[in-house]
Formats: sequence, C-alpha cells, structure tokens
Amino acid sequence: MQLYVLALSLSLMGFVSLFFISAVLASRSVDASGSESVSPSPEVRRKKYIWAMFFIGIIVTFASLWRYPHTISNSTQAQAINVTGAQWYWEIDKEEVLLNKPVVFNVHTTDVNHGMGVLNSDGKLMFQTQAMPGYVNKVEHVFTKPGEYKVICLEFCGVSHHDMITEFQVVAKKENKND
Amino acid sequence: MIKPSHEPHSNLIKFTMLLAGAVLLLMMIIGLLMRAAQGDLIEIDAAIFYQLMTAHGAGMVGAASLTGAAIMWYFVSRYVHLVQEVFVVFLTLFLFGVLFILGSISLGQFGAGWTFLFPLPAISGGAWETGAAAAFIIGLILIGVGFLLMNLEIGRKLISTFDGIGGALAWPVISGKVAPDDAPPPAIVASMATIIFNTIGIVVGAAVLVSSLINLYVPSFEVDALLAKNMIYFFGHVFINATIYMAVVAVYEIIPEYTGKPWKTSRIFAIAWSAILLFVMAVYPHHLLQDTVMPAWALIMGQIVSYLSGIPLLTVTAFSLCVYLRGSNIKWDLASALLVLGVAGWSVGVVPAIIDGMISVNKIMHNTQWVPGHFHIYLLLGEVAMSFGFMAYLIKEAKSSEFQMIDKTAFGVYLAGGIGFTLMFLVSGAMSVPRRWAVHAEEWMLQDRIATAFALLVIVGALIFVARYIIGIATYRRT
Repeated sequence: MQLYVLALSLSLMGFVSLFFISAVLASRSVDASGSESVSPSPEVRRKKYIWAMFFIGIIVTFASLWRYPHTISNSTQAQAINVTGAQWYWEIDKEEVLLNKPVVFNVHTTDVNHGMGVLNSDGKLMFQTQAMPGYVNKVEHVFTKPGEYKVICLEFCGVSHHDMITEFQVVAKKENKND
Repeated sequence: MIKPSHEPHSNLIKFTMLLAGAVLLLMMIIGLLMRAAQGDLIEIDAAIFYQLMTAHGAGMVGAASLTGAAIMWYFVSRYVHLVQEVFVVFLTLFLFGVLFILGSISLGQFGAGWTFLFPLPAISGGAWETGAAAAFIIGLILIGVGFLLMNLEIGRKLISTFDGIGGALAWPVISGKVAPDDAPPPAIVASMATIIFNTIGIVVGAAVLVSSLINLYVPSFEVDALLAKNMIYFFGHVFINATIYMAVVAVYEIIPEYTGKPWKTSRIFAIAWSAILLFVMAVYPHHLLQDTVMPAWALIMGQIVSYLSGIPLLTVTAFSLCVYLRGSNIKWDLASALLVLGVAGWSVGVVPAIIDGMISVNKIMHNTQWVPGHFHIYLLLGEVAMSFGFMAYLIKEAKSSEFQMIDKTAFGVYLAGGIGFTLMFLVSGAMSVPRRWAVHAEEWMLQDRIATAFALLVIVGALIFVARYIIGIATYRRT
C-alpha cells in the first residue's frame, strides 16, 4: 500500500509541477490569454477545477470512510492484547496471537505519549495507534501472515525513543503448552 | 484600486531578515548533521541528537515565523500607518524568547521536541531538569506575546482603515456591494485572515503552555493529556501555516512590480481567504488521526477539511499565479524566481500532506519520514523560498534587476538540493522509516546518505542567497 501511496503522490505532485513549468515557459509568450481581466476562459477553467476537486473529494471521502478505519468489530472471536508503553519499553500481555482472527490492541501508557507501530517481518508498517496518558486507544487488525512482528515507538518520547522495540508472534494455530 | 501610500519600515525589516537568514542557515546545518548522523556518516550521541532536533524544530519554525511576520509588516505598512516601535518590541521579545530556548537546550539539555507534547517536558527520564523545561516554555510564551502584540497592532489598523473585519476581508466584494477595483488589496485580505486565526491559535497555545508550566512545579495541577494534545496541535498547526500565509503576501505585492499588471482582490479571491480562515482552524484533528479515543466526527472532519484546504490553495493562489504568469513578459531574476518557486513548492507539498490526511493512509504513514517529507517541501521549497525571494527583492530594483549567473546557479543548486532532499524523506516514509529516530537501521541509511548530499546542496544555495543579501544591504538603498 505504501508504494501505491508514493506512486500516486509523485504523479499528482508532477501534475501540479507541470502547471507551474508550463506557466513559466509561457511567461515570455506574447499571447495575452494570461490576462485574467480580459479573457473569461481562465475563470471558466478555474470553476471546472474547483468542481472537479469537489467531485473527486466526495468520491474519495465516501470510498475511504465507508467503513470507519478505526472500527472495532466486537467479534466474539477477537483476541484482546493489552499493550503498555513506558520510557523506554513496551509490555505486552500476550506473546502470540492467532492468524486470520481479529486482534484488538488496548494501548495505554504509564508516563508520556508513545506511538505503537507494528512492523511485519519485511519492516513494513502494518498499522499504528497512539498511547496517551489517562486513555486507552484501541486498534483492531487481522494478521494474514504468520511470523514475527515488531512493535516500535512512533511518538517521540525522550532520549531512548528509538530503543522502544519488542516483538510478538502470529501463529497459525495456538500451541498447547502442555503438549 | 487602493495604492500603497506609506513608506515601509525598510531598515527594520532588512535587519529582521538578516537575523532570520542567519538562523535559517544555522538550522539547515543542524538538519544536515542530523541526516548525516542517521546515515552513520558522523557520530552524534542520541541525547545530543534529540537536543539538536528540538533546536532545529524550534529554530526553523521561529525563523519561518519571523520572516513571515517581517513580510506581512513590510507590505501592510505601505497601506496603513503602523507604529514601528511595536515591531521593535515584538522583535525584542522574540530574541529574548530565542535566548531562553537556546539556554534550555544548550545549558539544560532540554530535548522534548519543539512540540513540547504534554507531559514529556515534565517527564524526561533524567535527561533534563525542570528548570530547562520551564525555560523552553517561557521562551515560547515570550515569542507568542510578541506575536500577539504585532497582530493586534496590524489588526486594529486594518479594522479602522478598511471598515471593520469584514471590510478588510473584502466581504463587500463577495456580496457584490463593492467592485474589485475598490476592494482592499490582496495583501490586506491575506493579512487580516492570517491575523485572526494566528491570534486565536497563539491564545490557545499560551493557555496550554502556561498549564504545562504550572504542572512542572505543581504536579497536582493535572492537565488532561487529550485536551493538551488537541490544544498543542491546534496552536502548532495554525502557527506554522500562518508563516506561509504571511509570506505569500510577498507574492501578491512583488510579482505585479515585475509584470506591471495589478493583482486584484477578485470575488473568488475573497471567498478563498474567508474559507482559509475557517479551514486552517478546523483542520487540526488531522494531527490526531491515530488517537482512536477522539470522537469519530472530529477525525472525519480532520480528513475532509484537510482535503478542502487544498482547494483554495490550488485553484485560487496557484491557479491565479499560473494564469497571471502566462504572457506576462515577467522579468525573471532571483527574487521573482524564488517567489514563484515558493508558491509552486507550497502547492506541490500539499499533495502528500492531503494524502496523509486520510485516516486509512495515516494509519501506515503517520510519524514516518513521510511527514517531514511533505512539510519540508512546503517549507524549504515554499515558505523559505518566498522569504529568500523577499530578501532578494529588498536589495534590488525590480525594473533594473538582472538574473546573474551566480544567482541562477544558486537557484538551481537550491532547487535541485531541495527536491532531492525532500524526495528521500518521502521514499523513506514509504519504506516505513520512523521519523525522529536518532539511530537508524542499516537498511535505511542509503536514503539518509543521499539526503545528506542533497542537504549540502541546499546549504550552498542558501549560503549564496544570504551572502548576496548581506552584500546587497551594504550597497543598495531602495528608493
């Protein structure tokens, strides 16, 4: 997903840049179409751009918020994990979670703000939420690949902020410890 | 159209821009050191790194706000009589604030970041003492008080001269009662809107700063962390945006001198600035999209307003400038090139910002290097470019100016450096590299090292801009 975001951003940034480059190149042109006061066409084009941005905005808003991204499903199958941030370590009350079943992370802190970010084994950020004094932030995720996942801190919290790293496992089937 | 009728406070503003230019250069060097340390090219202790990060953030926001304030004061003072002593008091308070902040960092080892996120200043884990945190907070309050005084002086003069707040915001043009020819100039409309939201932002910021200060010494005076976070990001967002909105006044005022065509307050321009006034204040929840205890409506509003904020920028300011430039026969020199670059950089930088303002994207991009990626684009290639453009304008006459080879080289080096430097942030963000980490993993260091090289180019360009400015103010007197 991150690479799609990068590609989309760079494309749109290039598109905006082209407007400026073409305007700069046309600044020496003797064509008087740039005179906003004498030609109605720039205003017509402006209105089109405004309506286009509104239209695209409505579509993107509905598409991206149709299901609220922070929804907690309240599924009876959900596994709950309590995550506590503190300067400068994480405490997680489960070392393993099950594959393909929703996991609800209850994230809080004992001191300052922290940010719980979960990275997969490729180092890609899967999701995150903040840990805030006096509050419990909840975030739900369904892991679709087994393996080791890292928890890092994504909110600056002091001199060892970058050392706040821990791990947990996503397993296909819960192991019976008595076996 | 209302024409400038007063002499601006040139010497005071030239001195202010000299100070700001020097601070910008120094902060760029600190930024270079941080990227080099992340790339393992040099070794910096983590505690020192975070102190440098705090200095870089506070210094850059401070320098940008100082240049924005100087630009707004300079051009507004051409239309209304402003009491020069107020700006002197503002500058004095600003410098005292800087002294407190520098002291807290260099002597007190304060390193909580410029955003002073509650309760980090009070809970340092042994890295700094309460006094250092207090000095930092007092420094910010002094700067805020200075800004309030300056805003009140400009605000009261605009209100009395242009028939109230609505008059200065050109609302009669929106309603059709006044023709664009008789409207306040764009510089006045932009300044009035900026003063309103920046004053509200600073008052909110002062409230949370004073609360944090009391909490340092009276821990039983508890501040709700969620409320504090909302207030800090409201203030922070409004304040940093105000720097750009103040600086764009230079574009409205200077570019017409290069083209001979007036930039008028049209109806769409007036509507856009009233929309900006609301959007800048309503958008701040996009900084809290990962605080799931926030009401859903607030986060949804943050996403929607984040998108809406791009419309007046792209379809009014950017579009108008592009239309205005076409066939304008504009005389290109360092000032005009940097001012146009400033609007372009601002417009381009808003794209990754809007995309990050979507909750679902923010979930995987927030607080990665994507964030410094987008804000460095619209500051380094936006606000700061406009400020350097204003500095170049202050030392040359638009009609007789030439785009000399040294200026072209500096511009090209700065632009290439800025593009490469910011692109590395975006690429790192897409690779999930966290922001604000003193120590980077081996696999992240390639971008850090490339960014370091590009940062060096930026500094070379900026050094030439500032050097040319120093030579210019010694030899040129604007008539």
